[in-house]
Amino acid sequence: MGKYILKRFLLMIPTLLGVAVLVFVLLRVVPGDVVELRFMSGEGQFADPQMLAMERAKVGLDKPMWKQFLDWMWGIVRLDLGVSMWTGAPITEEIKLRFALSLQLAIMATVVATLLAIPLGILAALKQDTWVDYTVRVFSIAGLAMPSFWLGILMILGFLVIFKWLPPMVYTPLWVNPWQNLAQLIWPALAVGYRYSAVATRMTRSAMLEVLREDYIRTARAKGLWTKLILTRHALKNAMLPVLTVIALEFAFLLGGLVVTEQVFNLNGLGMLFVQAISHRDYTLTQSLVLLVAFVFIFVNFLMDLLYGRLDPRIRYR
Amino acid sequence: MAINVPAETIAEVSLAPARRAWIAAAIKFTRQRPIGALGAAIILVMAAVASLAGVLAPYDPLATDYGGMLAPPSATHWLGTDAFGRDVLSRIVYGSRTALLVGFGASVLGATLGVFVGVASAYFGGRVDLLVQRVMDIFLSFPLIVLALAVVVILGTGVLNVTLAIMVPMIPRCALVVRSSALAIREMPYVEAARAAGFGHARIIFRHMLPNVMAPYLIMLTAFLGQAILLEASLSFLGLGVQEPTAAWGLMLRGAAVEFAEAAPWMALFPGLAISLGVFGFSLFGDSLRDALDPKLRTL
Repeated sequence: MGKYILKRFLLMIPTLLGVAVLVFVLLRVVPGDVVELRFMSGEGQFADPQMLAMERAKVGLDKPMWKQFLDWMWGIVRLDLGVSMWTGAPITEEIKLRFALSLQLAIMATVVATLLAIPLGILAALKQDTWVDYTVRVFSIAGLAMPSFWLGILMILGFLVIFKWLPPMVYTPLWVNPWQNLAQLIWPALAVGYRYSAVATRMTRSAMLEVLREDYIRTARAKGLWTKLILTRHALKNAMLPVLTVIALEFAFLLGGLVVTEQVFNLNGLGMLFVQAISHRDYTLTQSLVLLVAFVFIFVNFLMDLLYGRLDPRIRYR
Repeated sequence: MAINVPAETIAEVSLAPARRAWIAAAIKFTRQRPIGALGAAIILVMAAVASLAGVLAPYDPLATDYGGMLAPPSATHWLGTDAFGRDVLSRIVYGSRTALLVGFGASVLGATLGVFVGVASAYFGGRVDLLVQRVMDIFLSFPLIVLALAVVVILGTGVLNVTLAIMVPMIPRCALVVRSSALAIREMPYVEAARAAGFGHARIIFRHMLPNVMAPYLIMLTAFLGQAILLEASLSFLGLGVQEPTAAWGLMLRGAAVEFAEAAPWMALFPGLAISLGVFGFSLFGDSLRDALDPKLRTL
């Protein structure tokens, strides 16, 4: 087991290295760089090439590509992400607060999604091909279809028109004022959670359907066991594994993928930071940010793999 | 005596059962999967609106009218006008063209490239497979929208570039699913026989393997369609997708629609409804198709 964990852990490194190379190269293919954007706004006639070269040297853009890449990698090994090319502030500082916000929102949205998906999915499976099933499926697909940014606009509009109230638009950390914090974050969490519950509902439904057809369920039923007991003890336990995977992977994506929702609710999270950084051609910040999001995703994958072995003894690790 | 039967009669006779079979299949689908049929109906309406946009739209979607800005819904402008005095209904009608163009373009391209990658990866196996899988893993570790955004920033905005940007994150997702189906097909006796007969790689892949992964291909394609439309709307909403003055639903929700949401809610309401309804139709249809073709297939 220990050997397997180590092996799986080490296998994460080539993937992350690939992500790093990909984002590094992609960024440098993008036309323009941070210096150009800052000093040549508009026509760019005023910029003096000598000064541009000096500014480039200041942010390290004069070095050859391979050197820039190695510097970045060496920094990561030392847990030092360097400074942002645009603001000059350390990247760890830039990311820290926004990460807290994004993490909290991702957790809240995942809780909303889980609370919706599991009961609804079970219900749909038990009443397969009845109007209950259809209603649940239409409800969850509707969530998948409504853009969460539109749902956000509607929510804000609804509060304004009906209650003459607006959720707070400035972020307050949870530890400063929990009420203020929740009053702001619960709405995007609901909008996003509803949307992300769709896939998990579907997975719960199909996993339950599959399990309910197994022989041991029929046996349990035949020996006259309570339906309630069959469902919780026998069916649910076995159906939850794939559902858990889906929820975990969605959580990982939620952390960095809420670009548009953050925009609507004026949340300064990782998604917004990514858009700002890439539009400033802030190479150092963008590449570290992307690597962080990819790392979380790959790491959650890794954790799920380990958890699988724990939850399902049939799975053996080599 | 039956020698001089006119050609048309023959054609009619041979066509009739085929047409009847189609209708019967449609009825059967509606009965067994009412949800999927609802989705199909929405898609058909959307396609009709897009192709008849010139006839259906009461106004030119680009015509500005600075005398009638932000007008509420009325008999002349059913869904009101926007901040430039453009008719919202006409822009929604024409916006369906953008949505379908980008949606179909991106999903067909993405799913097709994904199928090739997936089948080739499974067919060649060994080192090729391992390498392809690692590369796909790398692409899969980006959230959909982050990857699409990065591609848009490189290529620039506009309909074509947005289509390409949405296509990229779809390739690995399709490849992953198709590969797992193709792995089983590779072990089939007929593939082995084809190999034993000395056919080339290309022929085996195209003639023997590709036709057998059509089910996952279709499933992924329909599953992508709705998501592609949604992704286009999101990118346009961020200002990184389709550009003004082209009529696009996501674009209509941007800027003035949010600023004047309280004074002119129709600007935010109706385009969002159009997006939701369109994606809803494709998702319903895709969901039922997936259930019908392969209920065990697990796709995200």
